[in-house]
Amino acid sequence: MTENYHVFSDGRLERHNDTVRLVTEDDEKKYLPVENAEAVFLHGQIDFNTRLVSFLNDHGVAVHIFGWNDYYAGSVMPERGQTSGRTVTEQVRAYDDPEHRRQLARKFIRASIHNMRANVSYYDNRDHDFGSVITRLDTQQERLEPGLEINELMGVEATARRAYYSTFDDILPDGFVFGGREYNPPKNEVNSLISFGNSLVYANVVSAIRATALDPAISFLHEPGDRRYSLSLDIADIFKPLLADRVIFRLVNRQQVDMGDFEERLNGCLLTESGREAYLKEFEQMLDQTVEHPRLNRKVSYQHLLRVEVYKLKKHLLTGEEYAPFERWW
Amino acid sequence: MSDTDPVEKLRRTAQDEATTDEFRVTGVMMQYYEVCERELWFASRHLEIDRDNAAVVRGTQVDDSAYDEKRRNVSIDGMIAIDVLEDGRVMEVKPSSSLVDPAKLQLLYYLWYLEHIVGVEREGVLAHPTERRREAVELTPENEQWVEDAIRGVHDIVTQETPPGAEEKPFCESCAYHDFCWSC
Repeated sequence: MTENYHVFSDGRLERHNDTVRLVTEDDEKKYLPVENAEAVFLHGQIDFNTRLVSFLNDHGVAVHIFGWNDYYAGSVMPERGQTSGRTVTEQVRAYDDPEHRRQLARKFIRASIHNMRANVSYYDNRDHDFGSVITRLDTQQERLEPGLEINELMGVEATARRAYYSTFDDILPDGFVFGGREYNPPKNEVNSLISFGNSLVYANVVSAIRATALDPAISFLHEPGDRRYSLSLDIADIFKPLLADRVIFRLVNRQQVDMGDFEERLNGCLLTESGREAYLKEFEQMLDQTVEHPRLNRKVSYQHLLRVEVYKLKKHLLTGEEYAPFERWW
Repeated sequence: MSDTDPVEKLRRTAQDEATTDEFRVTGVMMQYYEVCERELWFASRHLEIDRDNAAVVRGTQVDDSAYDEKRRNVSIDGMIAIDVLEDGRVMEVKPSSSLVDPAKLQLLYYLWYLEHIVGVEREGVLAHPTERRREAVELTPENEQWVEDAIRGVHDIVTQETPPGAEEKPFCESCAYHDFCWSC
C-alpha cells in the first residue's frame, strides 16, 4: 500500500472487474492495480462515479484531486474504519489547552527550522557561503521560548522561512529568478515549483493522517480552518524542505526542467503537463528513497516517515509520551 | 478475596449485577498480557493496529479460512467470542505455534470463564492449521491459578494512566504496533 498513481490525461476513471481502469478521451485504456495503491492523484479532467468511489473505499485508496490553477482541490478519502472518538477527544483537549497547544506548535517550528537548516548547510558545505543565513536560522531557533503565543511562533517561522528562501536564488542556476514567495497564483517559475511541491507534500500527509484516527482538521500551529485540513499543514511544513525543495534543486540544477516547462496563465506562472510529470517522477522517487531509522531499526521510506510522524503525534496525545517531530538526522 | 479483587470485579461485570465499576477482559487481552504489556495497554485504548502489517494480514486469513465447516462462532455476554466445535470443545486457532503460551492462556481464559461464570465445563483444543497440529488444553488447578493471576495482571495494566515502557522482544518486528510503539 505505498504506490501513488498520477493521472494526467483527461478522461474517465472507472471500476472494471476487480481493478480500476482509465479510459482516455481517445479511447485508450490503462489499468491501475489497486492492491498496492496508497492514493490516486488526478491532475486532468476526470469523470468518475459512486461505484468507483465505493470500490476504492473498500481497498482503502484515497483520491487526491489537483486543479491546474489552484493545485490541491480536495480529496475523496476512504473511510477505512479508522474512527475513534477517544482519539479525537484527546486531540481537541490538547488543542483547547493553550499551554499544550503552544508546546506542540513550538515543536513543529523547531523541527521545520532544523530541516530548513539541513538544506542550507548542505549547500554551504558545497560551493556556497550561507554562513549568515545559518546564523539567522539559529537566531530564530533561539527565539523559540516556551511562553510564546501562537502568532508570535508563526512570526518566528515566517522570519526563518524568509531567510531560508533567500538562499534559493543562489542555489538555483541563472535564469531561475525567485525573488520571494508569492502564490495564488505563483508569479514565476520557482514559486510555481514550490507551490506544486508543497501541495504534493500536503496531499501525502492527508493520506498519512487518514490512516490513523486523528482528525485532519484539528491542528495546533495553524488555526483549525473550515476549508483546509490544517493538521496536514502543521505536519507538511516539517517535511517541505526534505521532500518538495530538494526535488526542485535537483530538477533545475540537472536541467530536467527548463523555462519551456512553464506557461503564463491567469496572471501567474504554472507548470505545463510535461513539467509536472518531470517533477512528479522525481518526487515519487524521493518518497521511495529510504533511510536507516535509529529507533525502528530498519530502513524506512520517506513516505513511511510521514506515516510514522502521525503515529508519533497520536501516541503523544493518547499516552502523554514525549513527541519529538521529525528532524533530519542524517 | 476482597471486593476490589479484579477477579471478583470481572465476575460482577459478567453477571450483570448493577456495578458502576465495570471490568471487561477479552480473550485477546489475556493473550496480549502474556505477549507484551505495552501491547495490551495500546489495545485496551483501541489504538488502531497497522492493517498493512504482514503478520496481521496472514493471521486474519488463517482465522477466516481454517476449519470453517466444523466450528461455530459464539459470543457470550458480549465479553468473550469463542469458536465451538461440533463436539462442544472450544477451539482457538493460531497461525503459528511460535507464541504458544499466549494462545494457551487465551483459551484457558475461555474455559475458566465458561466454568466459573457461565457454569459449563468444557475442554479446549489449540489448533495450528498451517502446521497441521492440535493440542488438548484443560483447566487444571494450576492453570486456573495462571488465569486468575493474569486477570489481576490485566487489570493492573489497563487501569494505568500511561502505557508501560517499550521493551525489546524477539517478536517486536512482526507486531502490528511496532512502528507506533517504537517511533518517538
